[in-house]
Order: sequence, then C-alpha cells, then structure tokens
Amino acid sequence: MSTTTLPPETNTAVAIARPQITVSNANPPRKGWTSWVTTTDHKKIGIMYMVFAFAFFIIGGVEALLMRIQLGVPENSFVDPQTYNGLLTMHGTTMVFLFVMPMMAGLANYMVPLMIGARDMAFPRLNALSFWLLTMGAAVFYGSLLFSPPEAGWTSYAPLSNLAYSPTGGIDAWIFLIHLTGIASILGAINFCATIINMRAPGMGWSRLPLFCWTILIQSVLVILAFPTIAAAVTLLLTDRHFGTNFFNPTAGGSPLLWQHLFWFFGHPEVYIMILPAFGIISEVLPVFARKPIFGYKAIVASAMAIAFLGLLVWAHHMFTTPTATVILAFFTIGSMLIAIPTGVKIFNWIATLWRGSIVTSAALHFACGFLLLFVIGGISGIMLAIFPIDWQLHDSYFVVAHFHYVLVAGAVNAIFAGIYYWFPKVTGRMMSESMGKLSFWMTFIGFNVTFLVQHSLGLSGMPRRIYEYASGNDWGTYNMISTLGSFLLAAGVILTAYNAVRSLRKGPLAGPDPWKANTLEWFTSSPPPPHNFDVVPRVRSVEPMKDIRRQVERASQPAASDHPSVSA
Amino acid sequence: MEAASVSHLEHDHHGPPEANKSSRVDPAMLGMLLFIISEIMVFGAFFTAYFFIRVVNTDSWPALGQEIPWAIAGINTLILISSSLTLHWALHSVKSGNRFAFKVGMLSTFLLGACFLFIQVNEYIHLGYSPTESAQGSIFYGLTGLHGAHVFIGLTLLLMVTVRAFRGHFSAEHHRGVEVPGIYWHFVDVMWVVVYATIYIL
Ligand code: HEM
Ligand SMILES: [Cu+2]
Repeated sequence: MSTTTLPPETNTAVAIARPQITVSNANPPRKGWTSWVTTTDHKKIGIMYMVFAFAFFIIGGVEALLMRIQLGVPENSFVDPQTYNGLLTMHGTTMVFLFVMPMMAGLANYMVPLMIGARDMAFPRLNALSFWLLTMGAAVFYGSLLFSPPEAGWTSYAPLSNLAYSPTGGIDAWIFLIHLTGIASILGAINFCATIINMRAPGMGWSRLPLFCWTILIQSVLVILAFPTIAAAVTLLLTDRHFGTNFFNPTAGGSPLLWQHLFWFFGHPEVYIMILPAFGIISEVLPVFARKPIFGYKAIVASAMAIAFLGLLVWAHHMFTTPTATVILAFFTIGSMLIAIPTGVKIFNWIATLWRGSIVTSAALHFACGFLLLFVIGGISGIMLAIFPIDWQLHDSYFVVAHFHYVLVAGAVNAIFAGIYYWFPKVTGRMMSESMGKLSFWMTFIGFNVTFLVQHSLGLSGMPRRIYEYASGNDWGTYNMISTLGSFLLAAGVILTAYNAVRSLRKGPLAGPDPWKANTLEWFTSSPPPPHNFDVVPRVRSVEPMKDIRRQVERASQPAASDHPSVSA
Repeated sequence: MEAASVSHLEHDHHGPPEANKSSRVDPAMLGMLLFIISEIMVFGAFFTAYFFIRVVNTDSWPALGQEIPWAIAGINTLILISSSLTLHWALHSVKSGNRFAFKVGMLSTFLLGACFLFIQVNEYIHLGYSPTESAQGSIFYGLTGLHGAHVFIGLTLLLMVTVRAFRGHFSAEHHRGVEVPGIYWHFVDVMWVVVYATIYIL
C-alpha cells in the first residue's frame, strides 16, 4: 500500500482497513509532575533546564541588587562584610553555573534535535541524568545558605579557599556544585556531539547545519576539554582542605599559582562556553528578521572554531599581575588580541546580514541588535585589558567588573532574551507580547548601560572590585549611586519579560507552526511539537530548508507555475 | 498542516520516521571516545600539578628521604599490559564466535586488573610516607590514586562484561557491549604507562 504524498490524516484513514493491534495493560503515559521527573524527552528536559535557569537568574539578580544597595552610598552598613562576600560568591557562581550554562543547555536541548530533524538526543537517559545532577549540585550549593555560604568569590583562589582562611563548609558546597555541574556539562556535551554528528536529517551535510547547532557543537568540544581541568582542580582543593595534601601549600612544596593556572585554563574557555551559544542564537535570529540569508555562513563557522581554539591558549591573561616573565606576558597579550580577529569577522557578518534587509523590528531582533552594539563595547574593553601594562593598572578594579558584565549581561543575556522571544512560540504554541518585549528591551538596555557604563569610570578612578564598602570624600559615591539606580531599572526590565512569558502561556495568541516564516527545521513541526517531533522529516537541500519548503508550497499552489520565472536559487 | 503536504518521502510504515543516521560512527563508541578525551584532560591537570611541583618549583623528586618503588611497579606495569592483550584476545574470540576463549579472555583480563589494583594498594601500605608530608608525596598519591580510581571503574565495567559473557550474552554480530568498555580499559592501561614513565622512571 503506498500513500506517497498524502497528509497523515488521510494516511490514518486508509490504514483503518488494517487489523488494529490492541494492547491491554500497557503503561498509560504519565501525567502531572511524575511525567516531568521521569521524562527522557529532550523537550521536557529542555523546558526544565530553562525554567531552572530563569529561576536562578532571578535569585542571582536579587543577590546582585542586594550588593548594589550596599554599594549605593559610601560607608554603608546594609549588609556586613561576610554577607557581602557570600552574596558576591553566590551571585557570580549562580550566574555562571546555574543561569547562563543551564539556559544554553536548555535551549540547545530543546532546539538542537528539532533543528537537525531528529527524534531525540542520542542518549536520552544520559540527558535526564545531566539535568538531575545539576539540580543536586544546585540544591547543595544553595543549601549552604542555611549554614555558611562560600565567601571566596567564584574563582575560589587558594589560599583564600584553604581550610585556614575558609574554615566553614561553604567552600565544600561550592566544590560539590562544581563537581556535579562539571559532570553534568561533560555528559551533556558528549550527548550534543553524538546527536549532531549522528542524527542529522537526510541531506543535512556539514555545510547545511544550522549555525546554532554549530556553536553548540563547538561549545561542547570546549566543555569536554576545559571542564575536566576545573574538576581536577577542585578535587585537589578538596584533598588539601580535608586530607592534608599540599598541592596549594607553598610551605610544603605546593603552589597557589597552580590553582590559578588550573582555574583559568578552565575559566577562559568557560567564557566562550557561555558566549558561543549566544553567537549561535544571534546567527539564527538575524537572518529571519532581516528576511535575507545569513551573510558568510562558512566564515561564521570558521571564526567560531578559531575563537574556540585560540580561547584555549590565552588563560594567563587573567594572571598578568603574577610573577611571570615578560615574554610570556607578551605571548598571552598577543594571543588574546588575536581573538579579536575572528570575533570581528562575526560582527561584520552579522552587520552585513542586516544590511539592506527587509527588517522586521520584532522584540527578538531588538535584543539581537542590543547584543551587537553592547557586545562590541565589552569586546573592546577586553582588548584593553589584554594589554598587560594596562591590566597592571586595571586588574581587580571595577573596570574589570564593567568589562565582564558587558560581555555576559549585554552579550549572553541579550542573546538569551532574543532566543526566548524567538523560540517561545515554538515551545509553548503561543506568542509573547511584542510591545511588552520591546518595552522590556528598552528598560534593560538603558538600565544596563546606566549600571555598568559608569563602572568603567569607577575602575579608572581606582575602586577595587570585591570590596563591601568605601570611604566618602571622592566621586565614587556618585558613580555608585548611578550604578545602583540603573540596576533597578535593569531588574524591572527583566521582570517585565518574565511576566510577559508567564502571561503569554495562557493569554498569548496561538502561534501555529511557523509564525516568523523562519528558516530552520524546528518550524516544520507543530508548536509545541508532538513527543516524536516529526511525522515526516523532509530532505534538506540548503541551510534554509523552511524557505525551500515555503517556496515549494507557493509554486504548488500556483496552477500555472510555468508562466512565472523561477525564483528558486 | 502544511508540513505534511509537501512531504516527498515514500513511506509505507506508520508512526514516526526511522531515526536519522548521518555518520558511520556508532554513537556509543563516539560517546566513549569523547569521554576518554575528557579523562585525558583530567590526567593532564594532575600532570600539570606534578610538573608544577617538580619543574616550576624545582623541588627534588622524590622528596628527600622518600623512595619510589619503580621495580615492583614495573612488574605491575607488565601485569596491566598483559590484561590489555587478554582483552584484545577476548574481543577477537567473540568476533570469531569462539565463546570459550571469549570467557577465558574476559576472566583473565578481570583477574589481571584486580591483581594490579591489589599490588598498588600493597605498595601504598609499604611506602613509608603519606600524602600529607610534602607536595611530592601529595602528587605521587594523587596521580597514582587517580589512576587507581580509573582502574577500579574499568574493573567494574569489565566485571559486568564478564558476568554477561558467562550468561551467554554477546555474539559474533553483537559485541558492542564488549568493544566500548574495552576501549576504556585500553585507555586506562595506556594512561598507566604514561604515569609510570613520568613519576617512576623520569
Ligand atoms: C542583573 C544584573 C547584574 C548586576 C546588577 C550585577 C552586579 C554585580 C555586582 C555588584 C558584582 C560584585 C562586584 C564586586 O564586588 O566585585 C558582580 C559580580 C559578578 N557578576 Fe554580576 N551582576 C548582574 C548580572 C550578572 C550576570 C548575568 C552574570 C553572568 C552571566 C554576572 C556575573 C558576575 C560575576 C562572574 C561576578 C564576579 C563574582 C566574583 O567576583 O567572584 N553578573 N555583579
Ligand atoms: Cu579570559
């Protein structure tokens, strides 16, 4: 029986004639919360990742606001020094390991199998394991709040993190978190690699892989190379703390610099682990809303690879103030500046994608353009810091805080928000409010710049980072007040998007399979997609399979197609 | 739905389409290889600590008054290498359908590995210094202990394969469950040769 081009409804109708297989006593599909806890469906796991991550974004944001309140005026006593250090450590660690990474993992979990036309991830149960390991780590880490939170910063430098200076269990909770998120991320990365390598739709060669999937693949390779180092480092720290070993103890032949090397050999790739998926999101959003193909697909892929490769070689630019030979400093300066080249290639490709496009000014595009503009500022301050004589002046100052918030908040967070506005209809089947989205964009955009632009000046006028209070009598007070005010506007903008999302779950207009007329395969299936994702997987013939399909539909619906000149490329 | 109306797939089966297969590598094997890369990086970090202590800090190796029993460990190295050979033999046997040789091969691999771990623990007991006295001692125990932990994981995997072998699992066509843990065991062995060469010989 052949039902070549009939839609599935007809298909089943024809099939009625067949003997039906009846099953008795089959396990009914689970409902309610157990369906979430026991799921191995990449979409459900992806949603859990994203909800988890957003919750921690709010928590980390509250910690940030508490710090900003404390720093708002000189000689403030809103929180005591220990609490400030705890907030600082929780905030940094939360934002990196419990917000940006899980958020990217969630988006990738949901989207990668759909974008490559697969039914699920390569190892669905391993995928669930990754998520649950992450939640265990988070539970213990935040459990430490009930006792004594870690206070050594997200970098936990030895000897500050040694037993002598951090006697409480907070650091151990931090170590536990790093171990578990580390294992979770490595297993997740292996899963993404296997999925993308093995499960692409027919016809989807490497040059037709969506750019978001490319960045997830490259990011996964970085995770596999970088995370084991931090896992090893925290293991050494753990044995130093509790079993009397001397890895970081200079009086018995160890070295605190060893910690710094191991940490930053992970730490610098970590920033690319956070930002590469953001690059991927931007590369998906821009062409859809510029209504023209991405400019320089191959250059964007190649530059992502170059960034990842160079990113593994520049870790010591975080250690310019340690005793190191000048040639080595110069090597790390040059290496870091080289990264600006592939990054610049990307920026120009994105600008060229927008150039002369028929721009659709959606909320997602707003956030993507915010990313473009502000990420460049963060990149430029990064190049300044990569010059070691400059870093000697600015190291550990608020200039650094400003720099990494420009790349992380204005970079990663803007991209995540672009991704949320872009993919929300696919995940939930409903549209978010565009006008609320644009308002949220302008609030976060202005709030962000008010908060962090002045911090460059703060750093230049000498305010060190990681201090809980400062004396009055100079201009620090004014800058800090501006920064604190800005942070509340930024927070309000974030809350607006959260509200928008929750409200749209019920009230948003129905989206349909492809509300944006987008390019990639996730829009081929219904919104939200069925558990098995696709009834049929089309053959992929370009980077933009959905555009091909729409054209084909158009041509099929025009009876005399031959009267029109062919428009297909 | 417009999606289905443009399908050009000929399909007379029902339900979702076949899983895509865009590469000739087996996913389980690929996953194991990637995992091994991450393991190599873990060892790399421990080796960094080792070279930091020995080369950057220019401390004596081993610490004054301590000795490293390279001869016994040398014998232990031979034991571990032979376990790789027996494992290879076992895999070869299952591929050619010789179940008896397969079972003997798996069992001897497991026993050789267990023997290695036993001698290693014995070495710790008779070493005469602890990880706490000097950084050299810390990294000696650190690296060999890290490796020992991997031997333990490897042994656990081998035990499962061996038990399944005796229960009649695997055949000339289906032996992926031998191959994938096998790769891990070979990795553990090769890693030992590197550990032995650097901290016992060098
Ligand atoms: C929501 C707006 C945010 C505000 C108002 C904010 C504010 C702050 C403040 C006040 C500090 C402490 C600076 C110091 O005392 O040295 C800090 C540190 C930090 N923030 Fe944020 N932050 C925000 C978002 C983020 C995000 C999204 C990320 C990462 C993706 C992030 C990553 C970090 C890191 C890594 C540190 C360093 C922690 C440490 O020194 O150990 N922040 N932030
Ligand atoms: Cu860096």
